[in-house]
Amino acid sequence: MIALKVTNLSKTYRESSGDVHALDSVTFETETGEFLCFLGPTGCGKTTLLRAIAGLEKPDNGVVRIQSHPDGGEPVIGYVFQQGALFPWMSIFANLEFPLKAKRIVKDTRREKVESMLEMMGLSSFASSYPHQLSGGMQQRAALARSLVMEPDLLLMDEPFSSLDTRTSQELQENLRDLLKRASTTVLFVTHNIEEAVFMAGEIIVLGHRPGRIVRRETINLPESRSRLSDAFTEYLVSLRKTFESLVSGS
Amino acid sequence: MSLVRVALGFSLAALIGIPIGLLMGASLHARKFLSLMVEMARPLSAIALLPLSIILFKARTFSQLFGLEHLRYQKNLLNEMQLGMIFILFWGGVFPIILGTIQGVRSVRRMHLEAAGILGAGRLFTFRHVIIPSALPDIFHGLKLGIGRCWMVIIAAEMLPGTNSGIGYLIRYSYQLSRYDIMLASIVIVAFIGALFSKGLESIGEKSLVLRSRER
Repeated sequence: MIALKVTNLSKTYRESSGDVHALDSVTFETETGEFLCFLGPTGCGKTTLLRAIAGLEKPDNGVVRIQSHPDGGEPVIGYVFQQGALFPWMSIFANLEFPLKAKRIVKDTRREKVESMLEMMGLSSFASSYPHQLSGGMQQRAALARSLVMEPDLLLMDEPFSSLDTRTSQELQENLRDLLKRASTTVLFVTHNIEEAVFMAGEIIVLGHRPGRIVRRETINLPESRSRLSDAFTEYLVSLRKTFESLVSGS
Repeated sequence: MSLVRVALGFSLAALIGIPIGLLMGASLHARKFLSLMVEMARPLSAIALLPLSIILFKARTFSQLFGLEHLRYQKNLLNEMQLGMIFILFWGGVFPIILGTIQGVRSVRRMHLEAAGILGAGRLFTFRHVIIPSALPDIFHGLKLGIGRCWMVIIAAEMLPGTNSGIGYLIRYSYQLSRYDIMLASIVIVAFIGALFSKGLESIGEKSLVLRSRER
């Protein structure tokens, strides 16, 4: 089933120094449950694309169609920002409870869901802490948990781990993969880190430099469970890095 | 006596100023509509309005407002709460509160609003759970300025003829009697209480301030 279909999406920012084409007729679609990575250099319009899909940005042109929820209702969309989107005046528990409260889910169910999500993400002992008391990695973990607790049909992630150190970032990548195995969530993951993309994604779309458009789409031919240390992984990474370099410098 | 007057006038200012500020901060229309009025009214010194407020409210006090005049000969606090005085206290305190609240609402981080929207929060829910808590530090700042203004206004108002109670009255009266010791002591008390007010509000607002300032 097609989870998301984006057709001819364009967006231009008008600035005093001239127009900046952030997106230039971007068209793609993706299947339910797929993990799709957008790879591209800084400033190629990756974030704009994600924001347009989430409805945070109004495109000049084009259509975004998201498959409705299995029970026929509005699709549930999760969005993980680069950093700092947790509400600093709420405890971690209250942060996770927020989307459930907004949907008027009864208190007992809320508590249950939040607690099991905290447990899964290894955050149980931080339930009553405030975001500023947590490390950057833990904060992003909580932000991810807050998006997942809504059980989204479509999860949009905007370089969620890019502000973390390599070790923490890898840990979270592994965590996320394990969590997603159990769900049929479709994921769009934006990153400029090739290794991250190869480790996580089922498919990669490479976005070229301005104007932002798709220059390549490819399926990653690696087994479901990947190890960073395996030869296949390194080989693949190197070859992709080469094509990526030529694609980016060529445009 | 001064304290009770300030408490009354200031609570009134907070009770009215915060909702107006929230409205002006959240809605462009309300801001456009009200900002001209606020900007015109703001520079008018509260003291300058005292004669006007005496004309408007005569010498009515709160006890008359509530029909409690029969208590007049007992020690009745409300009897000393001249409406005119409360009005100028309100006037002095309300504008910093409005401006602080607007500032707070307008400085809510866009990312938090976007996050709330994606997490499924409606307008009212966002207002209650995101905008207000996020604006709280600025609201407290406005309250702090407001109570300082109220305190200045009440001292001056009490020094004018027609009052026979309050610390401002004490300053003027001791001056007339050449009791400079009492006068100076009163001034020190005024300063002390003023500091107490703002420290008190600060400590109440501390928690929200701490949470916001540490977020980055």
